[in-house]
Amino acid sequence: MIASVLRDPTAETTQLKRNRLAPPASLDGKVVALMDIGKMRGDEFIDRLEQLFKMKNIATKRYKKPTNTRTAPTELVQKIVQETDVVVIALSDCGSCTSCSTHDLNDLDHLGIPGVSILTEEFREAFNGQCEKIGFDGASIFTPHPMQNKTTQELHDFADGILEELLAKITQPV
Amino acid sequence: MAVANSNNDLLLFLKQDCETCQLVKPVVDDLKKKGVDIEVYVQDYPDYYEELSPNDDTSLEASFNWNVETTPTLIQTSGKGSTLRVEGWDKKGWQDVLGVEDLGENLPDFRPGCGSKSREPGVYENLMATYGDVGIQSRGIELGNWDDDMEICYERGWTDGLPVTPPTDARIWRMLQGTNRKPDEVIGKVPPNLAPITVEKAAINAVLAGCKPEYFPVVIAALEAALDPVFTMHGLLCTTCFSSPIIVINGPIAKSIGMNWGMNVLGQGNRANATIGRALQLIIRNVGGGVPGDLDRSTFGGPGKYTFCFAEDETDDSWESLSVTRGFEKGENTVTLFQGDGIQGFIDQRSQTPEQITKSLASSLLAVGHPKLAEFTNAMLVLSPEHYEIYKKEGWDRNKITEALHKEMIRPGSELIQGAGGIGEGIDTSRADEMVNKFWLEGLLIVRAGGKAGLYSAICAGWTGGRFRHESKPVTKKITL
Repeated sequence: MIASVLRDPTAETTQLKRNRLAPPASLDGKVVALMDIGKMRGDEFIDRLEQLFKMKNIATKRYKKPTNTRTAPTELVQKIVQETDVVVIALSDCGSCTSCSTHDLNDLDHLGIPGVSILTEEFREAFNGQCEKIGFDGASIFTPHPMQNKTTQELHDFADGILEELLAKITQPV
Repeated sequence: MAVANSNNDLLLFLKQDCETCQLVKPVVDDLKKKGVDIEVYVQDYPDYYEELSPNDDTSLEASFNWNVETTPTLIQTSGKGSTLRVEGWDKKGWQDVLGVEDLGENLPDFRPGCGSKSREPGVYENLMATYGDVGIQSRGIELGNWDDDMEICYERGWTDGLPVTPPTDARIWRMLQGTNRKPDEVIGKVPPNLAPITVEKAAINAVLAGCKPEYFPVVIAALEAALDPVFTMHGLLCTTCFSSPIIVINGPIAKSIGMNWGMNVLGQGNRANATIGRALQLIIRNVGGGVPGDLDRSTFGGPGKYTFCFAEDETDDSWESLSVTRGFEKGENTVTLFQGDGIQGFIDQRSQTPEQITKSLASSLLAVGHPKLAEFTNAMLVLSPEHYEIYKKEGWDRNKITEALHKEMIRPGSELIQGAGGIGEGIDTSRADEMVNKFWLEGLLIVRAGGKAGLYSAICAGWTGGRFRHESKPVTKKITL
């Protein structure tokens, strides 16, 4: 429901959404935060991502939110800001996960950590809507939905399937 | 409530909190009992007028739509458009409208009414925004019930880091009442993006900054000065230097809108000083795209980039004001924009004569930019009342002070050239044989302001763009009310 309307003070020459931070040109010497949003089975997906990054000699650190139903605690956000350069947030396959993890992506971006959120296809609209509301042009990647009833191997296959797109979105296009 | 389509010929607006409304209550009750069909609207407590079967107008929609300014107001509609209205209790007026000769026999002939709730401060603009047509064209950002409007302003990147006032239609419309200029009038193009700015966009940013509508003409004049090509706002915004516009207000408007020219004049605490300067900065950020780290490339920035605006003390007739010196009439309202930095404090508690204080001030002014640079920047000297008093008691006026300061700052080029004194910085070596001024003759702006106690003055260094004597200058503009 629309409670009120504010008027845009800008020249309206740009889109309403704030551009996300540009990611680094390369991941050499950088640390990628793998942020588990705390939803069931997301860890299996992230396990595979971690393996894939390792195979490419990209340094990673794992983090986990206490619950997918809230935004990340300030301490966790600050820890990621101190220790890493880029963030990958996974794996949102519900409404509250999507809303909260999109805020996490935005909050980290404000603090200098560009990133990508990985969600299931069903929540593409919810992600875009949340970005619209907070005025943030966040980056996202979508995997098949549902994922809760898949085997571990299938989840690993999802990770394999999005790897190239993920690497492209956490490094600047040449 | 579709009041405009009401079939009733007679409308009456009342409120409980109005003695005159209470006075007419038995009259209306009597009329209703006699079958006169009066549609009653109550603005505050409808239950109080229960026997009159009133309409609840606590939303004030009907009062707004019928443009009610007083309670009670009796309105007779006759066909399309034509209406009669009687405000307050006016026995003859009521009798004429209602066609009842013995109406209110026991009441006095006349009792004034009270102000309509729809006209109370802060109410009307909200009714305009809700039920009227404010005509605002800028695109809207919709907020849900749970959105925090202050945080949304941050998220959208509209702030300088401090909280801003969320720009709602009611606030923007109220700001626009501060000027006669049309909302869609284009004032100019704001650098660095050279984006056109309308009066409406300026008003939205004035709302963000916290301005009152009566400040808005000053904001517009400051914007016009900033957009004058010779002010070089484009370069001033994008520069790696420290500078930003310093705004000086002259004329009676300074007092009218409660500006500060006294104690703590260059500091915090005065709404007009703080928000007028801030509005200009927010316009440059939001409309022009002058965002720090993007096209604002200042190495350090400076606190003046939040806001730097003050009034000159014009309470002493012996002092010719800055605007008069710059060619405007005494008593004209003006803004002067100077491209300057923060404050270099000047302390002299020992000088007793004009000659001493001149030498003393000159020695500090020579440090502006770099002691060995000359004709490279302008400068603003904010002369305190106590320092001016040293000049005044000997009959020195602005012209004499300015002339003496310039004279005191002439130095041999041989001491200033690059490399002289073992210092790489300096003027061009070709000027070794010249006697060199520190500033262009028009490049030293003196403003009298500050608290009555304190043998201090303030120096604001000018921007390096000032070295282009004819290309980059301070600008003064008249404020049109």
